[in-house]
Amino acid sequence: MSASATEDSRPAAVAASAALAALDLFALGRQAAAARDARWNRRGFFTRTRDPEAQPIVPFPFTNGESDAERLARLATIAAAVPAPWGVMPAPVGEPFGLDTLRCFALCRLALPQVPHLLADVAALGPRLAQMAFGFGADEIHAPIVAERALRLGANANNPALTRKEAVTLIRGAGLTPCERMADGSLQEVAP
Amino acid sequence: MSFAAIRDKVRAGEPLSLADGVALYEHPNFIEVGTLANEVRERLHGDRTFFNRNMHINATNVCEASCMFCSFARLKVGDEGAYTMTHEEAWGRLRARVAAADAITEIHIVNGLHPGLPFDYYTELLAGLKRIQPAIHLKAFTAVEIFYYAKKYGMSVAEVLTRLRTAGLDSIPGGGAEIFAPRVRKKICDDKCTADEWLDVHRTAHQMGLRSNCTMLYGTIETVEERVDHMLRLRALQDETGGFQTFIPLAFHPDNNALMKLPAPTGVEDLRTYAVARLMLHNIPHIKAYWIMLGVKTAQTALWFGADDLDGTVQEERIYHMAGAETPQVMSPAEIVRIIRNAGRTPVERDTLYNVVAEGAALASDKPFRRDVRRSLEVVS
Repeated sequence: MSASATEDSRPAAVAASAALAALDLFALGRQAAAARDARWNRRGFFTRTRDPEAQPIVPFPFTNGESDAERLARLATIAAAVPAPWGVMPAPVGEPFGLDTLRCFALCRLALPQVPHLLADVAALGPRLAQMAFGFGADEIHAPIVAERALRLGANANNPALTRKEAVTLIRGAGLTPCERMADGSLQEVAP
Repeated sequence: MSFAAIRDKVRAGEPLSLADGVALYEHPNFIEVGTLANEVRERLHGDRTFFNRNMHINATNVCEASCMFCSFARLKVGDEGAYTMTHEEAWGRLRARVAAADAITEIHIVNGLHPGLPFDYYTELLAGLKRIQPAIHLKAFTAVEIFYYAKKYGMSVAEVLTRLRTAGLDSIPGGGAEIFAPRVRKKICDDKCTADEWLDVHRTAHQMGLRSNCTMLYGTIETVEERVDHMLRLRALQDETGGFQTFIPLAFHPDNNALMKLPAPTGVEDLRTYAVARLMLHNIPHIKAYWIMLGVKTAQTALWFGADDLDGTVQEERIYHMAGAETPQVMSPAEIVRIIRNAGRTPVERDTLYNVVAEGAALASDKPFRRDVRRSLEVVS
């Protein structure tokens, strides 16, 4: 992008940023979910075998207390990347709050229209908040998919792994159609 | 009925039907349901979000009932993990809070159905707590306990309540309702009072001028219809007596109990249940997101899905922690205030009866979370 193009786009970016920051949680969530659905038709993804070269994921660290404007400024850097990353994954630093996290997801989806995937990381968010993120623009759950569920007791209490059935349940429970990304990159919807 | 038609009914203040409640549960977009619930929540309370300073005393976990979802109870004295506090032990919990200048306004007391204690154990427990702190509000004994005492000690429910009240009882917690559907109760809690008996204890209490709360355990084997039916039965009693203050949906925790093979409710299911409850229970003033059970992040999010109360500072909760809850056992008022403010809401410290204790500048100021709470925020979803 040329320097003049950057100069020219700044007022528009500031205006867009102010417009997003003015939205309440539900309005932001609705817009983000609509943007996700326009691209993915109410599908939510999971994968057992991720190819990090073909599917590069950029983490987006965020901290409680940051303003929308600060986040949007950092997201603009990701938005300017050529080529666009395959996916972005919000990564809380410090104490994530529920609502702040969901707002961050919505901002990511709306500020990064050229990034195909917005991933909810079960290890960082826990399965409950990760599932809620589907209502705020996320389209993929990021977790190791394992064959058998281990009881989450004692030292295993925070094991982020999900079984395929759990991943499907979380996605379907959020109102989306679960869709598995296969090893060859093809997508397979999971029948009810 | 379409979502638009339900929305029109809600906006017109019309009670929703069983079919409406089921439709809200089945609506594909939980954000839409949440938005409507939030509209009602803000119509009733604006941004105000309530909490109190309280402590829990679970004086005994010896319990004749063998509810399949319970991780707290031990069937007999002497079973591994079984305990019964002496009065001095229970009173000592309060003395410690008083000595720490901790301005709690409520003690929440819930116990197992102990077959070997005399009734005086309970009256003296209350009387002793009142002697230590006369102004403390004692919210004690679920309807299940009160019904059990009536049967065991050969009294009517009204007599039990009268004697407990004389000893210091101020109001009744909402626990023990589980799910009213007989099909479910028969499978998961067959040996405690029936739905009608539970409701009748609350009816009697309300007629005597006592206030109470009500709950619903969700996420075991009940259907969506059974959840909505449960709410409708509570709503009908509220129409009759007006004595319920708060409805508290309680999510099933699957660890350390006979239903551990069932999955826990998901986050979206939690939020949807809060939202449906707010919409169905138009005549119950408050919906409480019990952070101990939901986890702090989900409880905070529920403040936009119909809930207007976060419960209190708690301390020493045992029932959910024995079922695998990973939340801390206490939060300071400043921590609760911070969570509420971070949600874009206005914190209000209340007493048990929802009288305002402090708000605005009079509330505890923000301070960093303690280490144990910070860790819990990182791991609890």
